[in-house]
Amino acid sequence: MEIRDASVAELVVAVQGGSRIAFTGLYERFHRVVHAVVLARVHAGDAGDVVQDVFADAWAKLATLREPAAFPGWILAMARNRATDHARRRHPISDDTADLAVAPPPTSEAAAALRAIRELPETYRETLIMRLVEGLTGPEIALRTGMTPDSVRVHLHRGIKLLREKLGGQP
Amino acid sequence: MSDDADYLWDKSGDDPEVAGLERLLGGFAHQAPLRAPPPRRRRAAFIAVSVVVVAAAVVIAVLLVRRGDERGVQLAAVDGGAAPDGFGFQVSGGAALCDGAAAHAGSAGTLRVGGWLETEVGATAVVQVADIGEVRLKPGSRLRLVGTGPGEHRLELAHGRLSARVTAPPRLFVVDTPVAAAVDLGCAYDMEVDDAGQTHLRVTSGAVSLEGHGQASWVPWGHEVIAVPGRGPGTPVRSDAPAVLRDALARFDAGEGGGWSRSPLGIVVDEAGGQDAVTLWNLLTRTAGADRAAVFARLDEVAIRPEWVLEEDVLAAQPQALESWRESLEGTWNLGP
Repeated sequence: MEIRDASVAELVVAVQGGSRIAFTGLYERFHRVVHAVVLARVHAGDAGDVVQDVFADAWAKLATLREPAAFPGWILAMARNRATDHARRRHPISDDTADLAVAPPPTSEAAAALRAIRELPETYRETLIMRLVEGLTGPEIALRTGMTPDSVRVHLHRGIKLLREKLGGQP
Repeated sequence: MSDDADYLWDKSGDDPEVAGLERLLGGFAHQAPLRAPPPRRRRAAFIAVSVVVVAAAVVIAVLLVRRGDERGVQLAAVDGGAAPDGFGFQVSGGAALCDGAAAHAGSAGTLRVGGWLETEVGATAVVQVADIGEVRLKPGSRLRLVGTGPGEHRLELAHGRLSARVTAPPRLFVVDTPVAAAVDLGCAYDMEVDDAGQTHLRVTSGAVSLEGHGQASWVPWGHEVIAVPGRGPGTPVRSDAPAVLRDALARFDAGEGGGWSRSPLGIVVDEAGGQDAVTLWNLLTRTAGADRAAVFARLDEVAIRPEWVLEEDVLAAQPQALESWRESLEGTWNLGP
């Protein structure tokens, strides 16, 4: 099985059989959406570690996933839980100076834009970060989250409209 | 920022402002490789069913309920984003009546606040819901515009069928029926109301909260629910659920009990799998005592429960615990077909 050509369900089955290579395949496909989910709740400086924790958890628990095709929703739910837990125990998201603790440091304008996205309703936060931060297209987001393309499109358009209002027309 | 949908959707168009946001925020993108996964732990055994008898039934604080019979709500004056003259509509395939005046096929009109729109056999009316979406009223149906304002757009389907597609913040669009209220949470759905008022809701995108009689059913896409007179909304079930599950849920909603092994709830719990997390979650507020404990155990087996959602809080139907679990399940519910 070529990792690149395998379906998500095939990769999951392979990982459940102990394949680490297949697991790297899942990571390649999902690390950006997982990061987006985490970044919607956690400072940028901490998000990378939380992403690694999520995948470590996934590696340990993947055997309990009964329906391999449900992997996208499963790992994103895990990411939401991990990120929420981290935010409660560590840093309030309102302290945005920690967003600058990444290399290379982003501009304060970038930190402000990220903060504006985080202030949007939860429904739109993740999708907008997947699109604007991670650079995924709408169809790619649908594929990696399990959402329908229609839902993704709606989230993007509603979200960008709200973001535009928050930023006062300034990107 | 322009409204260039193509670039935002698939980068095929040209939208300098969205591209500017991408450049601004791209520094936060994740690029780190996977760290070596740790040795795999042994698979955790599924939690065995632990039947706990809750000593006293807890008054269920229903989540997100706005009573469906709060029909007397006074809507804000029409202004701002609302449709000042009501909702425009267009008729096709036959004739319709708008406040008693005939509207023939191909004609357009305005449904004003308090007015009724009735489609005759073969006629369909497409009603524009302010600037947030549209309702397609099917033949032989009767629809009223209850109110429209910046905080809420509200219709009433007395009988017949409609399809709604709305793009708006949650709870901005509501459709009342004789037995419940469908509160839009950003969605598309089909609704049918029979002459007795029984309401059948099938969600095709997003989610709807069907509310009434102090009960709320959270119905995400791919699920449907029935509300009957005198009982309020039933338990949602996925649209492709097997007959045995549907039948058992219908009997449970009708109040049928019986010994556990042959009871409708027993059948539901036995038959429910990972795809039925929505049904099981909704059952947590419809059961008590040992029944709720059994539902909890099954849901805990088939779905991820956040660490901070404690078993005892779920068994007590503690609203925050239920809501936290629902939120964590939402990603799974969003799975596409």
